[in-house]
Amino acid sequence: MPEFTFSNTAREIEYHGFDGVVKSHCRMCHGGCGVLVYTKKGKVAKISGDPACPINRGTICSKAMASAQLAYHPDRLTHPVKRIGPKGSGKWERISWDSALDIIAEKILTYKESHGAESVVLGYGTGRENEAAIYRMANLLGSPNVLTAGHFCYGPRIATSIITCGSNPIVDYENHPKCVMVWGNNIVISNPDEYKGEGFSSAVERGAKLIVVDPRLTRMAARADIWLQLRPGTDTALAFGMLNVIISEKLYDRDFVENHVHGWEPFVKRVNEYPLDRVEKITWVPAEKIREAARLYATTKPAGIQWGVAIEQQINCADNDRILMALMGITGNIDAPGGQVLFNAPKIRNVGQFGAHKMLPKEQAAKRLGGDRFRLAGYFGIINPKCVWDAVLEEKPYPVKMMFLISSNPVMTRANAREVYRALEKVEFLAVSDFFITATAELADIVLPAATWLEMDYIGDYWKRHGYILPRRKVIEVGECRSDHEMLNDLAHRIGQGEHWWENFGKALDYILEPMGITWQDFKKMDYIRGEVKYYKYKEKGFSTPTGKFELYSTMMEKWGYDPLPEYTEPVESPVSTPGLYEDYPFILITGRRIPGYFHTENRQLRWMRGLSRDPVVEIHPGAAGKAGINEGDWVKIESPRGAIRMRAKLFAGMDERIVSAEHAWWFPENKSPSHGWDESNINILTDNSYDSCDPAMGATSVRTLLCRITRDENQGEHS
Amino acid sequence: MITYAIKIDDEACWGCRTCEVACMQEFTLQGGVRLIKMEEEGPAMKDGKPYFLFRMNLCRHCDDPPCMKACGDSAIYKRGDSIVVMDYDKCTGCRLCIDACPYGSIDFDETAGTAKKCNLCHGRVDGGLIPACADNVCLAHCIHFGEPGEITGKIEKQKLIRKGLSG
Repeated sequence: MPEFTFSNTAREIEYHGFDGVVKSHCRMCHGGCGVLVYTKKGKVAKISGDPACPINRGTICSKAMASAQLAYHPDRLTHPVKRIGPKGSGKWERISWDSALDIIAEKILTYKESHGAESVVLGYGTGRENEAAIYRMANLLGSPNVLTAGHFCYGPRIATSIITCGSNPIVDYENHPKCVMVWGNNIVISNPDEYKGEGFSSAVERGAKLIVVDPRLTRMAARADIWLQLRPGTDTALAFGMLNVIISEKLYDRDFVENHVHGWEPFVKRVNEYPLDRVEKITWVPAEKIREAARLYATTKPAGIQWGVAIEQQINCADNDRILMALMGITGNIDAPGGQVLFNAPKIRNVGQFGAHKMLPKEQAAKRLGGDRFRLAGYFGIINPKCVWDAVLEEKPYPVKMMFLISSNPVMTRANAREVYRALEKVEFLAVSDFFITATAELADIVLPAATWLEMDYIGDYWKRHGYILPRRKVIEVGECRSDHEMLNDLAHRIGQGEHWWENFGKALDYILEPMGITWQDFKKMDYIRGEVKYYKYKEKGFSTPTGKFELYSTMMEKWGYDPLPEYTEPVESPVSTPGLYEDYPFILITGRRIPGYFHTENRQLRWMRGLSRDPVVEIHPGAAGKAGINEGDWVKIESPRGAIRMRAKLFAGMDERIVSAEHAWWFPENKSPSHGWDESNINILTDNSYDSCDPAMGATSVRTLLCRITRDENQGEHS
Repeated sequence: MITYAIKIDDEACWGCRTCEVACMQEFTLQGGVRLIKMEEEGPAMKDGKPYFLFRMNLCRHCDDPPCMKACGDSAIYKRGDSIVVMDYDKCTGCRLCIDACPYGSIDFDETAGTAKKCNLCHGRVDGGLIPACADNVCLAHCIHFGEPGEITGKIEKQKLIRKGLSG
């Protein structure tokens, strides 16, 4: 029998006649997976996982393999363009990089002069490893306004974990947790930060106990020892219920509680306000199940909570994160091998230093949009998007004149999409850097062609909290596309920031790595670098918080005028909080379940990915569908008090009959009109972004849970 | 002679569909054509528990393949190593094999005008390579390639390990 081995690169090259293979680091999501990129005649021909990479151990996802389809897509923007018709007319002319960057530079300097640096907003979407460079430019410019997804995605985990215990606790999959509680996350389908699905899956395959908190039946939930099928948006109450069991049955770690937490008594008092009968009423989860899950989680060591973004896109955002950390902490799982570890980064210049946050003058920081209202977010340089739309539309508290959006498509991905659209229509100057002319880019004055991960050198996972950095090695060039980092480095010289930047971005990589005594050229020869792995660091050094303790009672939140303890708030729209509205909109709509192949708005142009999921889908329970005369595959109309969209119905019995579940970020790039069908199936036409609907500390918008009505659409035709 | 098979441990599959795209990548398939495809079972209640499972559907490389008998063009043959191969050059697109397959595992490529099915990457296997879908792409490590008895044993053992009944 011939010797078969995984990822046999030599035979792969011989069999397919490839030129060779380059090891690199994928970024079809936030980054993470080590990959092998095979080339043929100078073009990318195959992508597979790198078995030497500790993040994915050779496994990979569908998106990574489709990277070449993205890079070589015929619709891809491969040179800068300038709009020559009205906004949204789709009329563009090709211009040179020099002209494009000169125009953007001139606008930045003019608006800084006339309306202050704060009138220039830089922005990015989900984490694409360009954030530190974008913050660097904004801070050096003096603009406190960087518009990101940070208010409701990962930013809250960073912000709340820093004030609670100094850093984000990462499940230590390499040391095999014996129990994993998955909370609002679909790690095997989605785009998890730090470790990917492989480590989780291997833990379960080794027999780890599994608890899944999710209103929908996923495969994980079906495999779970306990599935807690909660009412959407009631996570904080459910966690209170579990804490109640753990505390009243004394299942917590005595040493940790006695020596390492701050605010135990008031915390217990708060927990006691949530007896299980009350929690059952709020969450729809039977008390006995909560008790069983609490016992299993608290008594199986080590255990980890695999938390995800679903808990952050709610009014309870910061408190969801904080209360799950309370569970991790009092069960003694923080910094335990196989538990949740505050990993050390390698000794490099970190994203905070590179982002030049200290260079932002205090008087400019004080002007951060929404900084007075959303004080936890403001402290971490994060802003709520509505603050920007209002500053454009109402010029309050001051006008925003220019936006520069880098890898972001907010007309699709931010709440109350029609308001977003109006703001981008009105803003005086909009520059965008992206792979395609998206629905957002159609409203721009200048669009720059961004490089994919295949076209750049970079330090992969630079901002992650698992302690690894991995080299992303450039494999190809496409047209005139440039990495966001190179583009910003060039632009910086044109706006007078040259002394703080480099001759080219390669030198910036040397600067980041310098404290380790290595250069990019040295790092390129390595597989990865990991920071020193140490457990139970708090036993010697305490926690990096104001009290030096794990703050169940947050002194920072108290200082900012918030409740120092977590508290449950009813979802903004729900059968309980808005019973009148519920009569007109009799379904709880949950949004954004992850589907293979797509990453938010991305990849709908790629035929392999679109082949997996062709149309936007809303799941409805067969019972509810029957009553509404909706059949499998029908186009249906989904309405909220904000608007209406259409999607295809899928009958799905794996959730409560009162819930429907819709996908997010759907647009139709194959529709060549400049609208690209952006408002036909865009879930954010339905979502609310009013300030009162946002998390009061973090400014997170409640895009995950709202009320809706659903009817069979009279028009059964395809989307445009 | 050594025989080969692919077996998928459905219990471990998370439904990420990476194997489907690995197959597309290997054969640069058009979006619609599937040699391996995910199917959902459930949601339902089974033994008092919620049940929801993904099953990957691909050619079973039957001992006595009905598709081979149905093909009037002798485009389907079974090799000594038990791999059932469809020769697309010989296929005339009559679709009799599609009707004959009891598993619905044969697809039709409208562009090429021929049937298409999983040939167990026989070219790769002859070149000493693991079939594309089984070549360590799967995060659940649930796609097994090798000698049928051996991989069945592996899957059975893994079932015990995940239940905590075996180390």
